[in-house]
Amino acid sequence: MGDQSKLMSLNLKIWRQPNSGSQGEMIDYKLDGISPDMSFLEMLDVLNEELVQEGKDSIAYDHDCREGICGMCSLMINGQAHGPEASTTTCQLHMRKFKDGDTIVIEPWRAKAFPVLKDLMVDRGSFDAIISAGGYVNCNTGNAPDGNAIPIPKESADLAMDAAACIGCGACVASCKNASAMLFVSAKISQLALLPQGKPEAQKRAESMVTKMDELGFGNCTNEAECEASCPKGIKIENIARMNREYLSSALKSK
Amino acid sequence: MFSKLFNHLNSSIIKKQTMGVAGLLLCGFITMHFLGNLLIFVGPEAFNLYAHTLTSNPLIYAAEAGLLAIFLVHIGVGVKLTIENNNARPQKYYMKQPTGRGANFSSSTMPYTGIIILIFVILHILGLKFGTYYETSYDGVKMRDLYKLVIEYFRQPSAVLGYVVAMLSLGIHLRHGFWSAFQSLGFNHPKYNNLLILISKAFAFIMAIGFSSLPIFCFYKGGN
Amino acid sequence: MSQSNKLDAKIPSGPIQEKWDKHKFDSKLINPANKRKFTVIVVGTGLAGGSAAASLAELGYNVLSFCIQDSPRRAHSIAAQGGINAAKNYPNDGDSVWRLFYDTVKGGDYRSREANVYRLAQVSNNIIDQCVSQGVPFAREYGGYLSNRSFGGAQVSRTFYARGQTGQQLLLGAYSSMMKEVNKGNIKVYTRREMVDLVLIDGKARGIVSRNVVTGEMETYVADAVILGTGGYGNAYYLSTNAMASNCSASWRAYKKGAFFANPCFTQIHPTCIPVSGDHQSKLTLMSESLRNDGRVWVPKNKGDKRPPNEIPESERDYYLERIYPSFGNLVPRDVASRNAKFQCDDGKGVGDTGLSVYLDFGDAIKRDGENTIRAKYGNLFEMYERITDDNPYKLPMRIFPAVHYTMGGLWVDYNLMSSIPGLFVLGEANFSDHGANRLGASALMQGLADGYFIIPYTLGQYLAGTKLEKLDTNHDGFKSSLDDSSKHIKKILDVNGSKTADYFHKKLGKAMWDNVGMSRSTESLNKAIEEIPKIRKEFWNDVKIPGDSNQINLELEKAGRVADFLELGELMARDALERKESCGGHFREESQTEENEALRDDDNFCHVAAWEHEGENKVPTRHKEELVFENVKLTQRSYK
Repeated sequence: MGDQSKLMSLNLKIWRQPNSGSQGEMIDYKLDGISPDMSFLEMLDVLNEELVQEGKDSIAYDHDCREGICGMCSLMINGQAHGPEASTTTCQLHMRKFKDGDTIVIEPWRAKAFPVLKDLMVDRGSFDAIISAGGYVNCNTGNAPDGNAIPIPKESADLAMDAAACIGCGACVASCKNASAMLFVSAKISQLALLPQGKPEAQKRAESMVTKMDELGFGNCTNEAECEASCPKGIKIENIARMNREYLSSALKSK
Repeated sequence: MFSKLFNHLNSSIIKKQTMGVAGLLLCGFITMHFLGNLLIFVGPEAFNLYAHTLTSNPLIYAAEAGLLAIFLVHIGVGVKLTIENNNARPQKYYMKQPTGRGANFSSSTMPYTGIIILIFVILHILGLKFGTYYETSYDGVKMRDLYKLVIEYFRQPSAVLGYVVAMLSLGIHLRHGFWSAFQSLGFNHPKYNNLLILISKAFAFIMAIGFSSLPIFCFYKGGN
Repeated sequence: MSQSNKLDAKIPSGPIQEKWDKHKFDSKLINPANKRKFTVIVVGTGLAGGSAAASLAELGYNVLSFCIQDSPRRAHSIAAQGGINAAKNYPNDGDSVWRLFYDTVKGGDYRSREANVYRLAQVSNNIIDQCVSQGVPFAREYGGYLSNRSFGGAQVSRTFYARGQTGQQLLLGAYSSMMKEVNKGNIKVYTRREMVDLVLIDGKARGIVSRNVVTGEMETYVADAVILGTGGYGNAYYLSTNAMASNCSASWRAYKKGAFFANPCFTQIHPTCIPVSGDHQSKLTLMSESLRNDGRVWVPKNKGDKRPPNEIPESERDYYLERIYPSFGNLVPRDVASRNAKFQCDDGKGVGDTGLSVYLDFGDAIKRDGENTIRAKYGNLFEMYERITDDNPYKLPMRIFPAVHYTMGGLWVDYNLMSSIPGLFVLGEANFSDHGANRLGASALMQGLADGYFIIPYTLGQYLAGTKLEKLDTNHDGFKSSLDDSSKHIKKILDVNGSKTADYFHKKLGKAMWDNVGMSRSTESLNKAIEEIPKIRKEFWNDVKIPGDSNQINLELEKAGRVADFLELGELMARDALERKESCGGHFREESQTEENEALRDDDNFCHVAAWEHEGENKVPTRHKEELVFENVKLTQRSYK
């Protein structure tokens, strides 16, 4: 490892909560010897190693791929979802974005639909429930015609890809002051509504996914675009507008 | 029998859209109201005749009822949405910082500017619509001298101040609300977005400054 | 060490082009109404497990799906960037099923099974069609047709892609199909579950024991067949491009219950990863090898040249891949590129603070095509690189180093993808079947989805139709004893109560593996590993420390359980590498190389699959051989010169 003089000391304030049924609180930790080249999660690894050495319970947080694509990592860092850097997941945030002596506040995603399981770990099963309500094309294996049978304009394919880039991390919900899941839901509705394969079910899909989202206790959209601003994949609220159109059209026409 | 309809109306998206449509209708109303009020600058006769024409038309009651309904819908749905939004996050953050790339002052204060406007509207109706009845007549036609009432009303600096504060709140409310209604209704197009936001800002600015100019004008007029 | 011959691959007879069709026709079918009477457990929700769960549920089976993450959508298939191969021949450049088959066998250095690979190439086209129908937004040309690119040294453009996120899009496609079946009630998903044991009854796989990592509860599930799609074991090296939770435990428990483990030493080291920056490093990040289409790999000609790259003149740079391999240049296969980077670094020419990296330079490409063109092609990768290293690759060359990426080895399966345990099927990276000793780029996604969408639906049906399975529930003694053993295992880990963390042991194992069973292996290094790993294992069982108990979320306990398994698997990898005295694909034995330091195969003695059978704790496992017969492909020395 590089230069010792670059190593940082940090004051951490971290939410600790033993399990979903108990009360939690913010606990202070002091951490030394942090290299600016570490990722944010590697910094937490260092803290956890220390805690385990002391025989204390390590801090639970979700993470997996550590390359910004699985959507498992979360964390509100200094009041911002995935921390201060735009288009970056927590696992890709590096400590060089902080200064020696900084105080860093770390909290879990907070939403009624994302109950805390332990410490910084939340249950995002509600996202799966929304997808299973309609976030797919009803096409069983073996049904498919040739991949080139239906040409898809490049613009539509590109827009669909923009929406499909969603990693389902939940930062949109976490950063929204209303804990609304509309960006997440609209990204899937948009992706499939933009493609001819998804068209036949587009309205039904919008209707069932929105209904499920409402049931699960997410808030409503007030068009502030904090979701877009904190989305690590840059999903646009244009998708929410598209969902609004799809839903309205379904509500007016459905029998 | 109506359950499907009710479910749609009660969905998050239709509620937002209802809010937006009601808001846009109210924008229409304040635009008309503002244009009418401009007659104050022309003089007592123009203003009073305009007010008389408007209030003596029997359709006014239907129009007022409609307006009241729109108001109540806008407020009612707004309250419901706000309560739901609050419930969606029972445990608040210890620290929450806006990204600086999304929310703005206008968007994050909608419920508060809304409350200010509501209080204002009540006081405004009590003070002016149901205020002192002065009478005047033009060409032998008796009518209410609303112009006089307005001038009298805005003699008090507190009324002017209250009015201006409320109109600035209105401007802030419209800055986000006008654009937001289009977004809720599904209008978001990269080519037109900047234009729409510009229109939103311009409309908010004109309403805030335009309405505010009236009591200030009356205050100085009344003072003379 | 005994070398017996008790593996029957059950390859159908007949010409290779007709084997699969014939096999499907010969397979018994299950009446649609009867399918719902069968329960199938699928462990893992990546491309293989996810597609299998969805397809089987569509057929009417009652599917129980398990994953370690909080959602099936997060399996590590999601991280694959480059693309997926198929023999569509849309670009009209001479591709065919036969060519894809041939390239894959050759790319695998002739250590894969011909019939399996041919079938893979055959169904590759259906995969693209299926994924398009699911709404996977593959890249398109302006005319609206699918776009292809050449990838990983292939001479034809057969790779389909969705920006740099092909794995993500394909996985989300499989996930959405799964969710569709969840909605219909055909799949029940169990998230945040770790499989801790396979339950065998009358010698057949009949269920699993899993641990609910949220509540700590040990659970048992009964089924008529068990499918593992649990990925590879690259994390045996601690640092790899695998996800943090990627582990070998499911495969390892199956191995201990009698499933043979095939070719464990075949690991792929990917050449274009971001180098290690320090001891804190928890994982390595891969950048798509498509970068090698435009980037030029070089090191300084002079050892220990510490000047910044832009101060080293052209004449003092060694573009070693272009020099050694004039016809393939920077596009040589992964194993060749990786090994050469290691040789350069071993030679003292490595760059960066650690001396463990080489340059990948886009200077010429930017000069030729302009920065905007390069940005359009690789913008997201450049951003990722800059985010991690704080260097701007538009201005300075990237630094890259090889990292463990994929494991070709895995549980042995026959043509039906069934392991040596009846009723236990293994799909995707978790099995050994299709990539031989080296996997070609954009073929992992193809294999995972082929196995799940198009192969297991047929071969599972054949097994279930032809097997007598008694009705069971979890009160059966077999379940009770497995549950008991698993609980004891966890208690044993907790009871050590030593002084070192699980990561400490994992890092130690990783270092022993990387140094001795890494890119270049020798009798000496492998013997050293076989000696060293049991010592680390012993230390682990005496000194690991796990705070807390097992009745809650306990990440340290989860880690320790996996490390315990890696500590056993690592030794097997070394043993397998030692026994395979030839070089082939990703397995490079220093004793077996050509005069030009290329891998030298020994087809006379090692043209076989080595499948290892567990003989009991602390006993040397038995090595079985499945001879590989090549009737359609001529074995040649790979040459990329």
